[in-house]
Amino acid sequence: MSVKAYARLAGTTVRATFAHRISIGLGTIGVIFQLVAMVALWTALLADGTRIGGYSLPEMKGYLLVGFATGIVGRGLGEHVMAERIRSGAVALDLVKPLDYQKMRFAEVLGGLVIELAVIVVVGAAFVALAGPVQAPVRPDLLLLSLVAVVPIKFLIIYLSTMLCFWTQNYHGLAWTRTALTQLLSGALVPLALLPGWLQTTAAVLPFAAITSTPALIYTGKATGTGALLLIGYQFLWAAGLWFLARLAWRTAVRQLTVHGG
Amino acid sequence: MRLVRVYRRSLGAHLRAVLEYQSDFWLLVTAGIVTQSLGFIFLSAVFARVPTLNGWRFEETVLIYALAGLAQAAVPLFADGAWLLGSLVHTGELDYRLVRPYPPVLQVTSHQIGFSGAGDAVGAGVLLVWALSRVEVHWTPVKVLLGLLILLGAVVIRIAITVATNAIAFWIPSPNPMFASAVFQIGELARYPLTIYGFGLRVVLTGLLPFAFTGFLPAAWLLDEGGAAWLGLATPVVAVLCALAAYAVFQRGLRRYESAGH
Repeated sequence: MSVKAYARLAGTTVRATFAHRISIGLGTIGVIFQLVAMVALWTALLADGTRIGGYSLPEMKGYLLVGFATGIVGRGLGEHVMAERIRSGAVALDLVKPLDYQKMRFAEVLGGLVIELAVIVVVGAAFVALAGPVQAPVRPDLLLLSLVAVVPIKFLIIYLSTMLCFWTQNYHGLAWTRTALTQLLSGALVPLALLPGWLQTTAAVLPFAAITSTPALIYTGKATGTGALLLIGYQFLWAAGLWFLARLAWRTAVRQLTVHGG
Repeated sequence: MRLVRVYRRSLGAHLRAVLEYQSDFWLLVTAGIVTQSLGFIFLSAVFARVPTLNGWRFEETVLIYALAGLAQAAVPLFADGAWLLGSLVHTGELDYRLVRPYPPVLQVTSHQIGFSGAGDAVGAGVLLVWALSRVEVHWTPVKVLLGLLILLGAVVIRIAITVATNAIAFWIPSPNPMFASAVFQIGELARYPLTIYGFGLRVVLTGLLPFAFTGFLPAAWLLDEGGAAWLGLATPVVAVLCALAAYAVFQRGLRRYESAGH
């Protein structure tokens, strides 16, 4: 019964995202402009065949494409809603439902994937057609496996940070800070290998690198063979670890809840 | 003068309201500083490996980045209410603004203050000071005055574009400022040297949506570089034109406004 209930929830999210398709489409425009700026910048730097950090221009474009895709994934509509429900106390109604809160939110993220994948395919195709030549993925099978792991990791990082709304009222500040940190430490901003040493060390012990850096390294063939498999194993370990961490955190967080009125 | 005084008091009232939530304030300031540092980290990672980007050195690129960032940060600080125009039109609440003895457009823009701008302004301001202390500029009293005038112009341009695009709500009713935020995001492109873009984008960014006047062209004027230096001096003129155009769009829209019918 319960799997069916979660599937329903995912289905509802699919319908909700289609109802909001225009605002989601326009919301994506911002990310696309960032991509345009980055492509122009790297083209100016690498057009004459130079390499930076071992990346040629077609490879860097492949890297940026992965960065774009992993940036779109799991943005979900649910994040604002969850924050608002915690703020207003309406989350109390979610707590009395005979379903697991964390699994419910994850089901919604999975539902949101449908439209996100559509955006990635359309923009990705346009990107390859207009901004080519773009390097093709070196090992599509490993890349796919690695991208699968991105979904729960990204969900859990957003979920954990949204949980902080039990302590603070300001969701936007939280979301911005998290987005900025994710950009930097995931390698979406610039390949991690180009960052100063201390930032590389920080990124190595945190889960963010599993979001963009790992799939991008596999896409561009900077990680191959055992190295790639190890990175993917590391991704799934993070996914599992964060899942249990989120459960623990949730137990502490709900105790903070104050609901006014009745 | 009365216009300015009333505007300041209106913003001040909202400022006091926001300052009631101190932890939120600090969270947003932190978010802004973190977000602004991203660009700096990105550029420093790139410039650690290349001497110039299309002829622009590190400090000069940071100068462009910081100027555009500062102009962008001014929008939430001084005209955040513009984003509410869609919902004011949608709900018919604009009615109240029409019966008060103060220009409706200014009532709308001073209707809210966005504290994200404070953090962005601090972050971009620090970057600007850092860049200015490292670039070679032949400072004279006239140059300082003109520089301030140009900075003011850059701010006016960003606010004018925000107001004009939000005024679309008079023609296409929608409570969410989707079109305006999509255009706002184009401003991201203006944070890098304009010369990295193709001809089409350069035309859009200087003529159609003059974002180039909020970062690149002022910086080019200050450094007397890039062949387009004299164009930067036109920033205040472009700002006046933008402000007049935005006002005209708003007034035309106002004539179409027919309340919500209650």
